[in-house]
Amino acid sequence: MRGDISGRRRESPGCTVEKPGSGATAIEERDEEMYTAGIDVGSITAKAAVFKDGAVLGTKVIFTGYSAGDAGRRVYEELLGELGLDASSVSRIVSTGYGRNSVTFASKAMTEIICHGAGAHFLNPHVRSVIDVGGQDSKVIILNGEGRVSDFAMNDKCAAGTGRFLEVMARALEVDLADFGQLSLVSDEPSRISSICTVFAESEVISLISKGEQRKNIIAGIHDAVASRIAALAKRTGIRPPVMMTGGVARNIGVVKALERKLELPIEVLESAQTNGAIGAAVIAARHG
Amino acid sequence: MTESAAGRDKRKFASAKKMRDIMTSYYIEAKSAKETGKKVAWITSGGPVEPLIAMDIIPVYPENHGAMIGASKMGGNLCEKAGEMGYSDDLCSYARADIACSLVNGGPIGGLPAPDMLICCNNICGTVLKWYEIQARYYKVPLFIFDTPFCHTGYGDEVKRYVRRQIDEYIAFLEESSGKKFDHDRMMEVGKYSVEAQVLWQSVLDTAMTKPSPMTCFDAFFFLALIVTLRGMEVTVDFYRGLLEEMRERVKEGIGAVPRERYRLLWDNLPIWYRIKWLSDIFTAHEACLVADTYTSAWCGQLKYMDEGRFLDSMAEGYTRVYLNIGVDEMIKSVLEMVDKYGVDGFVMHSNRSCKPYSLGQYDIRRAVQEKRGIPSVIIESHMVDDRSFSESQAETRIDAFMEILRESKGKRGA
Amino acid sequence: MDVLDELRKVADNPYGYARRLKGEGRAVIGYFCSYTPEEIIFAAGAHSMRLFGTHGEISRADAHLQAYCCSVVRGALEEALSGELNFLEGAVFPHTCDSIQRLSDIWRLTTRFKFFADVVLPVKLTTESSRMYMVEVLERFARELESAFGAGITGEKYLDSIRTFNKLRAGMADLYRLRSARPGIVSGSDFLAVVKAAMSMERRACADMITRLAGELGKKGPSSNAGGGKRIMLAGGVCDHPDVYRLIEESGGVVVWDDLCTGTRAFEGMIREGGNPLEAITERYMTRLACPAKHRSLTERGERLVRDAKEHKVRGVIFLLLKFCDPHDFDYPYLKESLDREGIPSMLVELEHQLPPEGQLRTRFETFMHTI
Repeated sequence: MRGDISGRRRESPGCTVEKPGSGATAIEERDEEMYTAGIDVGSITAKAAVFKDGAVLGTKVIFTGYSAGDAGRRVYEELLGELGLDASSVSRIVSTGYGRNSVTFASKAMTEIICHGAGAHFLNPHVRSVIDVGGQDSKVIILNGEGRVSDFAMNDKCAAGTGRFLEVMARALEVDLADFGQLSLVSDEPSRISSICTVFAESEVISLISKGEQRKNIIAGIHDAVASRIAALAKRTGIRPPVMMTGGVARNIGVVKALERKLELPIEVLESAQTNGAIGAAVIAARHG
Repeated sequence: MTESAAGRDKRKFASAKKMRDIMTSYYIEAKSAKETGKKVAWITSGGPVEPLIAMDIIPVYPENHGAMIGASKMGGNLCEKAGEMGYSDDLCSYARADIACSLVNGGPIGGLPAPDMLICCNNICGTVLKWYEIQARYYKVPLFIFDTPFCHTGYGDEVKRYVRRQIDEYIAFLEESSGKKFDHDRMMEVGKYSVEAQVLWQSVLDTAMTKPSPMTCFDAFFFLALIVTLRGMEVTVDFYRGLLEEMRERVKEGIGAVPRERYRLLWDNLPIWYRIKWLSDIFTAHEACLVADTYTSAWCGQLKYMDEGRFLDSMAEGYTRVYLNIGVDEMIKSVLEMVDKYGVDGFVMHSNRSCKPYSLGQYDIRRAVQEKRGIPSVIIESHMVDDRSFSESQAETRIDAFMEILRESKGKRGA
Repeated sequence: MDVLDELRKVADNPYGYARRLKGEGRAVIGYFCSYTPEEIIFAAGAHSMRLFGTHGEISRADAHLQAYCCSVVRGALEEALSGELNFLEGAVFPHTCDSIQRLSDIWRLTTRFKFFADVVLPVKLTTESSRMYMVEVLERFARELESAFGAGITGEKYLDSIRTFNKLRAGMADLYRLRSARPGIVSGSDFLAVVKAAMSMERRACADMITRLAGELGKKGPSSNAGGGKRIMLAGGVCDHPDVYRLIEESGGVVVWDDLCTGTRAFEGMIREGGNPLEAITERYMTRLACPAKHRSLTERGERLVRDAKEHKVRGVIFLLLKFCDPHDFDYPYLKESLDREGIPSMLVELEHQLPPEGQLRTRFETFMHTI
């Protein structure tokens, strides 16, 4: 079946679940010579990763844009081009993320929760919890010793505790979101943002601005507020160390530090935080070759 | 709008310290119950406390505890803890804060003394049933449920019989849990104090009919503690007698709780415990006095059903027909009576996410009051103890706009 | 037409069905709670029809109810105010919860239906005095129905009604057993259609059809469960979203049992045939698996959940909780802990009248199926 991508697709496009017993524990280390790929189509960015012989060869990130299916194909082809690879040499592709079912050429679609778990486990086998905070949702993923997802939780439809919350606040403060992390680190006294509702918190921020509160302190307060929400989700799910954080918000050092304080646990953030889901998908593709 | 230090001093209540002292020694006694060998019963705020007092069992109120947690601004953290335990943020914040507190012994008084028994009367809500079930599992103590059927449109004979039978079951439960015999003579005495304290509390609230009012509802929220926790005790009767004297003195001297009282308002629902001073300052700045509220009057609103000569029998009806256990139309009637009695110009409604029986129906009550009395109203939303879901700026804007409307409408009416 | 088709047709358009019944001269009475003593309504010659609230926009009800009231209550008031429920003779409100209790007041004060009744049942179901009280409440309700519909309810009518509901519930029990023994024998959304039909269709006809359906399915060979779906139990309150069932199946699960208000809790337990009918009806409501808004025991719900999960060999439990449903929200941590202790995985989904984006639900279900 190797290389026969379309033939591996399950009959029902929605049905993406493993056969019993073929979970992450049942790893068959075959196809060592072959390349596998992971494609993670998120709401804002699409990511791809290529994997061979137990190592990540390369990753790529582009904006998703209007068509999730196109973005998946584009990021994949561009990455192959950069690596000088031919599509025929890739034996298996796993797609993930919200657009996972739009990537029609993938051998299999898996949820991003499973893929983030697999990616984190691959990059650091000791990791037992993954906190993934993206643009529109946050997830807490608990892994067992074998790297298999044993429990997970997602935020409800409320935006508090997500990247969206930070975006709204950045707009209110007229600060580039990319500067949030560093600015908050120099805060001497974080403001108290008590509200858990994004809309209310925004008006709290505006009234802090009008009271002349320093930006760095407001931003530190915002990070505390986001961290509180994520920490509540994490504790409810039974978080345990070591903890890794992935997703776009992991690049915000202010949130990571605030979360470490709330959880009283150190948090590992890797360079590949944003492409972790794609890496996990490529790893899973290799397992089931 | 600032007033002199002398003016502020004049407005301070001498009774406040007395009440703090009584409450402090009450909590000390409750917390040292294990050493003194007394039994502790946790009971809901609307529950029949008198039999407990008659049996020398110390009543402890998780709801009063919730209020203290809220007033000391510790509700947000405890509710966050409850969230970690799996409780939805949509649930009553009294319950969430108290449940979390049991686990961490947090809060302003380091947690409540553990109960020997739980008494849950559902005349205020269905939430207390779930809350007390959780605590009964946690503390592994017996739970008595005093089930007071909701009186949408009346008080049927079958309800009367059911509640009366439960009073006997309640007493049997107390005898079994405490190992003591129930003393009916002592009960008569406690019943007398209870009714007397309720009469006095009503008289205290009635002093607000005077213009300017000697007290605001924020004062009532504070002075309420004793009628909730220790009604049926002599010390409570003495206290409210003293407070009533102090109020009457103020009335005589023409001291208003709000300097330059121009607008008289009615408050609906429980307080926003963590913003009492903030709200009080805002309304004072608007020269508005919240002269009455539907909440604190709930602990004397059933006097019409009470008969101290047949305390236990009349208690059945008194406890079943409390303000939160009646239909919206009956609530409207009560509110209209208060509007007239206290000469109210405007209606401030707290839409309390923590309390559905109190809050659902408010929109209809509001419309009825507007239609029948032509007075404006404002709605402020919060969770009474969980400050994480409150927007100060949103509330302030609403209150300011409401006061503008009120100024205009009162100006037109030539007041 | 095939039986299942006919039941599906009623479930798809219950209001159209009710309008036809009304046209045939039957008084239709709306209800919201599985504690509604439907047997008495049937004996009085009227038809009880469960209301779930709209799945569309809610606007009129917003003038009466805050956004933090559950969507079943808000959605039902919306339909009452919009005229959607004009086929109703009226509605009956068993006390249930704080929100239904206030819905009763607002409904009574703002709608113009001919019939209205509060049936304030006891909240605790453990004492002799609460049992006696329930009997008396049911007697009062029976008198109200008699005066509204002009006919006395004879012992014969009671017996006929009790037999009809027993037949219907026995049929449902058969279907539940079949579904557990042969997962997928009826799809999840079809099963929901049968449940909804059992709450909205003329009960005598419905009892016949469900009995027939159970018989036909019983004779069929072993079911496919071709997808090898993982055995799932649902727990929680009201769920009338067929899409939830579809998504669970598409994610690789198959529902084999439930502890739902739109499920076993509505059908569990037979009524004694003979003796005082109201006492017999009371007995069933006092002893059936309790809703969290009622008190029967401190531990029964957790013990039953674990027992059912084990008995039906489920791989995981999905809690479907209506947002802002206090009684269920309070029980959730304790129920989850009961499952955790036994090593039974569970997940929680909060529902409202409109489902969250399908992608998010699908992600959750797929991940859950993968982890169990």
